[in-house]
Amino acid sequence: MAVTGYLSEFSLAEIFSFLEQGNKTGLLTLCTLSDAQPGDRENHYIWLNQGRIVAAANRLDQHGLAYMIGQRGWLGEHTALRVAQTCAATTPIGLSLKTQGLLTVEQLKLLFYTQVMRQVCSLFALKDAWFQFDGKAPLPFAEMTGLNAPATEVTLAALRVLKDWSALTSKLPESTSAIMNIVEGKPQLKLNQQEWHLWEFANGTISLQAIAQQLQLPLEKVQQTAFRLVTVGLVEEIPLVKTIPAAKLQPEAMPMEAATTEATPVSHSFLHNLVGFLKGKV
Amino acid sequence: MEIMRLVVTGPVGAGKSTFIRSVSEIAVVDTDRRATDETSLLKQKTTVAFDFGRLSFGAEMALHLYGTPGQSRFDFMWDILIQKAHAYILLVAAHRPSEFIDARRICAFMRQRSPVPMIIGLTHMDAPDAWDLENAAIALGYRSVHTRPPIIAVDPTQTASVAQAVITLVQHSMQDCLVEHPI
Repeated sequence: MAVTGYLSEFSLAEIFSFLEQGNKTGLLTLCTLSDAQPGDRENHYIWLNQGRIVAAANRLDQHGLAYMIGQRGWLGEHTALRVAQTCAATTPIGLSLKTQGLLTVEQLKLLFYTQVMRQVCSLFALKDAWFQFDGKAPLPFAEMTGLNAPATEVTLAALRVLKDWSALTSKLPESTSAIMNIVEGKPQLKLNQQEWHLWEFANGTISLQAIAQQLQLPLEKVQQTAFRLVTVGLVEEIPLVKTIPAAKLQPEAMPMEAATTEATPVSHSFLHNLVGFLKGKV
Repeated sequence: MEIMRLVVTGPVGAGKSTFIRSVSEIAVVDTDRRATDETSLLKQKTTVAFDFGRLSFGAEMALHLYGTPGQSRFDFMWDILIQKAHAYILLVAAHRPSEFIDARRICAFMRQRSPVPMIIGLTHMDAPDAWDLENAAIALGYRSVHTRPPIIAVDPTQTASVAQAVITLVQHSMQDCLVEHPI
């Protein structure tokens, strides 16, 4: 079943986290919305293999990478396309070109950076777009350099340079929440200084507001950094209990027994009787 | 009197109040109030304190159901409820991925405060844009079927579906060390 929605509901950072966590293979399509400026409306395509981004393009004719190679003057576009047609059906064109001595490893890395890192990172600035993930779409070997990057690594790079966070305001961890580290040992990803500082506070007990005060950073920056750590799967947000207002200590209509009785275990026979009773309602 | 307390939690509009209403033998103590701010875009009313429902069976046995406030500003109520709970169910609307992040927050909050068994109930699975169970599970942070709690589809408007969900939760609870050891 295709997964669909809008970036305003499920951000690109969340999508990438979902695709990586799920080891997804397929095609993520982003369509900018109809009220965008006509010159701005276009579709964006990102292909993944087991949660790793392998290619990106704004066209589906599998000529995007060949065009990039041609533009740089490394090889004619037609030559690159001819190689794509003659190489094995499951071999990325980049690997074929390298094997034939037509492109170097450094050139492939540069292509991957332009095709994936720059193109995909720019998509994080979209205010909204319709998205669909198709897990049945085949991999576009003629668009693939043979290199790949974990989806969340791209997320981290993109969010670090994101200037306008207004589309993500509702997704940011709350100032009264703490963060808790959920990986064993040190993170495998390369964190920057701010991210490391925040990581050291990820014990689930200190609010982001308190962390911001301790690190002498704007709260907004701490929340954005925390969001980055959450979406790449290093920490999770832990809401902290707010101080009980005196006026709310006796909530209306609260059964007194619930206010005073401890949660003592229930017996086997209770549970069996309950299941038997409920089965009569199914 | 032996009482089991079950907490029904989840983001706004997941179907918590409806769930309790579908199975409670008493009129649910309804603390719905007019929804404020962005919540009103989802529904007219929202629970500000909590809902309470009851199911009696046998002479001295009852199931008490407590629904948490939908808006997270009422966290102090959750803490009181969690300390008393024997188990809980997290309801999540499968057609509203915008709420998945809130569901994860609630889950993290509950997990920090109580080790009691829980299951996840996906509601609105009949909506055309509902995420399927496996994808919703991954989006909620559960990538492995072996380590996640039971996740089921539930229709909070149907007594039979709610009853089945409670059966699943109770049976899951029986696998955990909830019960007192037999003499």
